[in-house]
Amino acid sequence: MEQLIALVPALPLLSAALVHLFADRLGRQVARLSVAFATTTLILIVVILVAELTGHGPGQFALADGVGILVSDPLSALMGLLIAGISTIVHIYSVRYMAEEAGYARFFVLLDLMAATLLVMVAAGDLLTLLVAWHLVGVLLYFLLGHDTRSIGAYRYAFWTFFTYRIGDAALVLAAALLVYAYGTWSLAEIFQRIDQDTVAQTVFGFAVPEAVGWLLALAAFARSAQFLLHTWLPYTMDGPTPVSALMHAGIVNAGGFLVNRFAPVFVHAGDVLHGLFIVGLITAVIGSVLMLTQNDVKKSLGYSTMGQMGFMTMECGVGAFSLAIYHLIAHGLFKGALFLGAGGVIGAARKDDGVPKDHLYTFVVERRPARLRQPWIVMAMLTLAIPIVILVVAHWLVAQDFFQKQGAIVLLFFGWITGAQLIFATYRMRTQNVRRLLGLIVFSFTIIVLGYAAISHIFDLFLYPEAAFRDRIYAAAGFDVVWFDVLVVLVTCIIVLGWLGTYYSERNGKRRGDRPGRLWMSFYALVSREFYLTDVYGWASRAILNAASRLNVWLRWA
Amino acid sequence: MASYGYIIAALFLPVFPLSMAFNMLYARTRSVALRVLLLLAWPQAGVAVLSVSSGDIPVWVILFAIWTALLYGVRALALREVSIWTGFLATSAWAVLWIPAYGGAESVQLQLYALGFSAPLVLLALLVTELERRFGAAYTGLYGGLAHALPRLSGVLVFVVLAITATPLFPGFATMLDVIVTALPAMPVVAAVLAGTWLLWSWAGVRLLHGLIIGPAGEAAPQDLSPSATWAYVAALGALFAAGIYAMGGLA
Repeated sequence: MEQLIALVPALPLLSAALVHLFADRLGRQVARLSVAFATTTLILIVVILVAELTGHGPGQFALADGVGILVSDPLSALMGLLIAGISTIVHIYSVRYMAEEAGYARFFVLLDLMAATLLVMVAAGDLLTLLVAWHLVGVLLYFLLGHDTRSIGAYRYAFWTFFTYRIGDAALVLAAALLVYAYGTWSLAEIFQRIDQDTVAQTVFGFAVPEAVGWLLALAAFARSAQFLLHTWLPYTMDGPTPVSALMHAGIVNAGGFLVNRFAPVFVHAGDVLHGLFIVGLITAVIGSVLMLTQNDVKKSLGYSTMGQMGFMTMECGVGAFSLAIYHLIAHGLFKGALFLGAGGVIGAARKDDGVPKDHLYTFVVERRPARLRQPWIVMAMLTLAIPIVILVVAHWLVAQDFFQKQGAIVLLFFGWITGAQLIFATYRMRTQNVRRLLGLIVFSFTIIVLGYAAISHIFDLFLYPEAAFRDRIYAAAGFDVVWFDVLVVLVTCIIVLGWLGTYYSERNGKRRGDRPGRLWMSFYALVSREFYLTDVYGWASRAILNAASRLNVWLRWA
Repeated sequence: MASYGYIIAALFLPVFPLSMAFNMLYARTRSVALRVLLLLAWPQAGVAVLSVSSGDIPVWVILFAIWTALLYGVRALALREVSIWTGFLATSAWAVLWIPAYGGAESVQLQLYALGFSAPLVLLALLVTELERRFGAAYTGLYGGLAHALPRLSGVLVFVVLAITATPLFPGFATMLDVIVTALPAMPVVAAVLAGTWLLWSWAGVRLLHGLIIGPAGEAAPQDLSPSATWAYVAALGALFAAGIYAMGGLA
C-alpha cells in the first residue's frame, strides 16, 4: 500500500520521460499521453484520500534510510488532490491552447515535472526532500513562465519570480539547518516529536529555536505566497502561457499556507511569529485588494486579487485557523484557476459584445448610479449591523459551540461581520421593485455562505488536526493578551464605523463639494496606480548592484 | 609555519586578494585542456595543502573566505565574458570550502566537495570552446536566441548552469546544505551570508542564460551540437546528477 505514495509523483515523472522520448514520433498526439498520466495520478490521489478518510492511509514510503521520505497524511492527501486536480485540468486545457506554440512537447514535459515536484513537496516527510522539491518548483516555474524563448519580456518577469522564490529558498534552507542543528535529524516526524520534548530551550540571536525557525519559515511562505514587499512578481508574470498562470495562481502560490500547516508543531511554540503572520497577511490583503481595484488589465487585476486572497490566507494562519487557510486556498485555487482559464475567452467575447445586461445592477455597479428613492437610513443601518452578526454567531454556534473561546475565531467573525455589513450597506441604495425580496436574497446568500464556510472549515479542522488538544494549542499560540485584544477590536470597530459615517457624510454633502477630487486623494491614487513605486525601487536597487559590480570589475581588472 | 600553510592554501582555495592570481591565470589560458586541468587541480591542491597544515584555521581566514565568496558572487553578476564568469564562479564556490575545513571535515570529503563544484565548471569550459568555434566569442548579449537556433547546445548549457549554481539534485546543492548546517551553530551570520551568496549564483546564472539563449535567433544559423557530443554531455550531467543524489544520501 505504501508504494502508492511513491507512485503518485512517479507517474508524472514517467510521463515527462515518455513525452520527451516519443515527441518526435507522436507529434502533437504526445500531449494525450501526458493527459492520460495526469488523469491516472488524479485517480490514484482520490484512492489515497479515501483511504485517509476511512483511517486506512498508506503511511509512509522511504527511498533510503532517513531520506527521500514521502508521507501520506490528511494534509498531503488533500493538497495532492488539489494539485493533481488542477494539473489535470491544465493539461487538458493546454492540449488545444498550446497547439500553435513552439516547444509543444517541452511544455508538457515541464508541466509533468512541475506536477511531480509539487506532489513530492506536499508529501515530503523529511527536510531534504522538502528542500529539493521547494527549490525545484521555482526553477521549473521559471522555465514554464519563459516557455516562449523568444520573448525577452516573459523571461524578465520569470526572473522576478525566480529571484523572489530563491529568497524564500534561502530562508527555508536556514530554517532547515537550524532544525537539524537543534534536533539532530532531517526527519520531520522526529523533529516535531523532539520539539515537544525539548525542555532546554536553545537560542539563536536571542530567539528560541522554534521561534527563529518560525520567522524563517514565515519568510519562505511570504516569498512563495506573494506577501507585501515580496509580491511584485505575481501580477507581472502574465506574459507566460495562460495555463501556467492558472497553475501558478491556483496551486503554486498556495505553498505558503501549506508550509505553515506542515510546520504547525513548530508554530505552536512560536506565538509571536503567528502575530507577525497576521499583521503581514492583513497588510497584504488590504494592499492587494486596493491595487486590484486600480488595474485596467484583467489578468493583472486577477494577479492582485490573488495577492489579496493570499494575504487573507496568511491572516487566517496568523489567528490560528490553520485548517481554514487550507480550505481557503483550495476554494481560491479552484475559482482562480477557472477565472484564468476563462480569461482569454472572456476577453475574446468582450471584443464583440461586453455581455453586461443594462439593468438596475449594471447602472448601480458600473455606472455608479444609486436609486433616488432609498429605504429609511436608520432602519437599514440597524439591519446592516445586526443581520451579519446574528447569522455569524448562530452559524458558528450550530457548528462548534466552543468557538467563542478562541480569539482567532472572534477575529474571523469580526471580519465576516464587517464583510456582511459592507455588502448590505452597499446594496441598500439599489433600485428595486421589491425591497423585501432583495434583502431576503442577500440574507439567504450570506447565511448559506457563512454556514457553508463554518461547517466546511470545522470538518477540515477535524480531518487535518484530529487531536482536539493540538487544535486548542494552535489557537492558544495565536492568542494574545485579552486587554490588548479588546482594545484592538474596539479600535478597529471605531475606524470602520467612522469610515462608514464618512462615506455617508460625503454622499450627503457630495453635491456641495462638487465632483473635483481632493489633492490628497489624487496623490493617493497616483501612489496606488504606480503600485507604491515598489517595482521602481526594486529596479533601481538591482541596477545599483549591477553598476557597483561593473565598477568593481573594472577597478580590480576583471581578476 | 602554520600561517604560511594557510596562505598557500588561500591561493588555491582562493581567498581575496590571492584569488586574483587564479583568475588572471585562467583568463590568460587559451588551451581548453589547460583550463580543464586548472579547474580540476587548483582546488585539489588547496585541499592537499590544507590537510598538511597543522593547527586550527584562524577565524579571520574564514571571514576573508566568506567575503571572497560573496565578492565574486556579486562581481559575476556584471560579467558578459563566459570564461571570466567561469573563473569567478569557481572562486566563489571554492572559497566556501573553508567553512567545512574549519568545521573539521576530512580531506576526502573536501576533495569530493571541490570536485562537485569543479565538474560542472569543466563542462562550461568545454561549452565555451563550442561557442567560440561557432561565434568567435563566448559573450552574453552578443548573439542571443540560441534556444531557437541551437536547441541541443542551449539545453546542455541550461543544465550545466543549473549544476554550477548548486540546483538540486546536483552535488553543489548537497555541499551548500552541508556547509550551511556546519556554519550555523558557531557562525549564524556566516551561514546567512552563504545563503545570500547562493542566491547571487542563481542571479548570475540566470543573467548568463538570458544573454545567451533568450530572444529572437540571429540570421546566421551555425551548426548545433552533434548528437554524439550531446550524448556525451548528457552522460556527464547524468553522472553529476547521480553523484548529487548520493551526496544527499550522505547528508542524512
